[in-house]
Amino acid sequence: MSSLNEEEESLPQEPPSRNEMSRRQFLTYTLGGATAFMGAGVILPMVRFAVDPILQKKGEGEFIKVAEASKITEEPQEFTFELPQQDGWYASTAMLTAWIRKDANGDIYALSPICKHLGCTVGWNNNKAHPDEYHCPCHGARYTKQGRQLAVAAKPLDQYTTKIDGGWVYLGEIVPNTVSAKEA
Amino acid sequence: MFKNVYNWIDERLDITPIWRDVADHEVPEHVNPAHHFSAFVYCFGGLTFFITVIQILSGMFLTMYYVPDIINAYASVEYLQTKVAFGKIVRGMHHWGASLVIVMMFLHTMRVFFTGSYKAPREMNWVVGMLIFFVMLGLGLTGYLLPWDNKAYFATKVTLEIANSVPFMGPVLKELMQGGSIAGAETLTRFFALHVFFLPAVLLILLVGHFIMIRRQGISGPL
Amino acid sequence: MAHGDDSKEKVIFVGDSRVRRGNGFITPPDYTAYPGKSEAFIPNFLLKEWMVGVVVLVGILVLTISEPAPLGFPANPAATVIPIPDWYFLFLYQYLKLPYASGDYIVLGTLGVTGVAFGALLLAPFLDTGPERRFYRRPIASSLMFLSLAAIVYLTNTAWTEYKHEMAETGQIPEDVQREEKAAENRAAGLPTTSAVKPKDIAIVDKDDPAMALYKQATCITCHAVDMKGSGSFPSLRGVGDKHDKAAILTIIKEGKGQMPPMVETAMGAGLTEQDIDELAGWLAKQKSGQ
Repeated sequence: MSSLNEEEESLPQEPPSRNEMSRRQFLTYTLGGATAFMGAGVILPMVRFAVDPILQKKGEGEFIKVAEASKITEEPQEFTFELPQQDGWYASTAMLTAWIRKDANGDIYALSPICKHLGCTVGWNNNKAHPDEYHCPCHGARYTKQGRQLAVAAKPLDQYTTKIDGGWVYLGEIVPNTVSAKEA
Repeated sequence: MFKNVYNWIDERLDITPIWRDVADHEVPEHVNPAHHFSAFVYCFGGLTFFITVIQILSGMFLTMYYVPDIINAYASVEYLQTKVAFGKIVRGMHHWGASLVIVMMFLHTMRVFFTGSYKAPREMNWVVGMLIFFVMLGLGLTGYLLPWDNKAYFATKVTLEIANSVPFMGPVLKELMQGGSIAGAETLTRFFALHVFFLPAVLLILLVGHFIMIRRQGISGPL
Repeated sequence: MAHGDDSKEKVIFVGDSRVRRGNGFITPPDYTAYPGKSEAFIPNFLLKEWMVGVVVLVGILVLTISEPAPLGFPANPAATVIPIPDWYFLFLYQYLKLPYASGDYIVLGTLGVTGVAFGALLLAPFLDTGPERRFYRRPIASSLMFLSLAAIVYLTNTAWTEYKHEMAETGQIPEDVQREEKAAENRAAGLPTTSAVKPKDIAIVDKDDPAMALYKQATCITCHAVDMKGSGSFPSLRGVGDKHDKAAILTIIKEGKGQMPPMVETAMGAGLTEQDIDELAGWLAKQKSGQ
């Protein structure tokens, strides 16, 4: 490790005792510090750049006005609404549908018509053989009013977060079904 | 803990001599700016490498957002520069770093030239170094087009016209560079592929050769 | 030079390197073969190198924070922009404008002088083979290099001045400056700051037509989606009127097309009448992308 000149340099000094730092150790620590600074200076901005999506504020509370609360009946009704989406630099509007009804207590909830089997779009009461059920024409998945699965699908229909404000129903993001559990 | 892991690997692969060779080799006095201040001219090679590392890293991170497509390229660059946190800095590093690499490499080349360090036995290393220079210029040229703004587009059109004026094979060369009959979508993907895969691969191979030759032959002696 | 072909020395090196003259592989000796004060690469020398590196890094960071990388407007082949390459290509760019490097002499420009210059640079060690290393002792090589450097500086400077001059004459402002100003204005006005070209969406024609309800009822939406944009391999029905007229659409509903099975019975099952389907087909035929 130690070369000739290294020994020469340390000759006039006291041989380093255990508590003292040798010149070489000092240099090594300084070099380590400088390396860490350079690494951090280069990498940190880039890491912050890369993890930006998870640190960006989510569109929390992004509710869209969809329907008048007075028009909601116990029979599910279909409503379509446009959701402006900003996918990075790509701005688009997604047109979404929701089947909205109120239950016996008057609580309003909205189901997403995306079939939990393979993602087709279900419809209410659209098959004569199975009245008063959500039916998916692709593979015959069926759901109850609350979205509980009856056939083919493995999970209940998803729900929109719902908010009622000033007589209007506002819908938010899609979340797993909670109403079907109450029914069961 | 760390020591045990190291020993375990070292026992099997005998890796100590590899890094010891790099770490413990003696650097002569005449390239050490602490002894002669004028020796700072020997720093430029190392700095070129340092900035090249920054270029590779920032480039890797930029591709997380960039799309090589004529509709989205500009939009994605604008997005990463204006909307993504630190995007201005990461793209800035890549943009200004590209210029700095050229500057440092130029200074390094001049140092080697004027100290006559390319003379026997280091001829091959000079040739490899010049090839690195050309690859770097190629990286600059192909990278310039990627943001797909007007400046990039028209400068690249000029480049393609220059390629076109080469005798005999000009038109073929131009069409090969632009990947079709007009400068457009196919030109962009082609330049992207060159900038991100082909040229960096060549660059890395050349750099490895450059460094191995330096270790093998040592730094040229004092004048 | 430290180690010439001095026959008194026991070991003869190739040039001033650590590679010994001889046959076969010889392990290179340590750098202590050099006289004078040498020092270990790690940590002594690298620390000094790193100090310079730290300064350079801070410089880069300051530069990137103070001076954002320029970005102009999206490429538009119809735009009138004075093309300008990156600064390190300016000399070539200007050189190729010179009378003897353009027009009839273009071959001389691209291959002749440029090719010879870069070729000579690449092969410099084989052209300048003398043992002398000091630049003032090899006047030909050095003066050629000085001449090239002067030419590069001159050409770069001329190119840049001409570009500036041309910009001023035509009253153009660099696009990246324009874009920044426009973005700043839009930001102040609360508008989107982007300059990117937005892809146009084909709109649904007559959205409030009762046929839209029929479209949903007839289960078309399961595949062609609520917004009629289709999904996966199912085609978008926006602008379908450009491709098919009403009769053709009716045929597709009744007979299917490609992967699509005949849907007329499903639609009837969902409660549509013959007339409803006719209406739906008519409405779909009206879906033209327009301009």
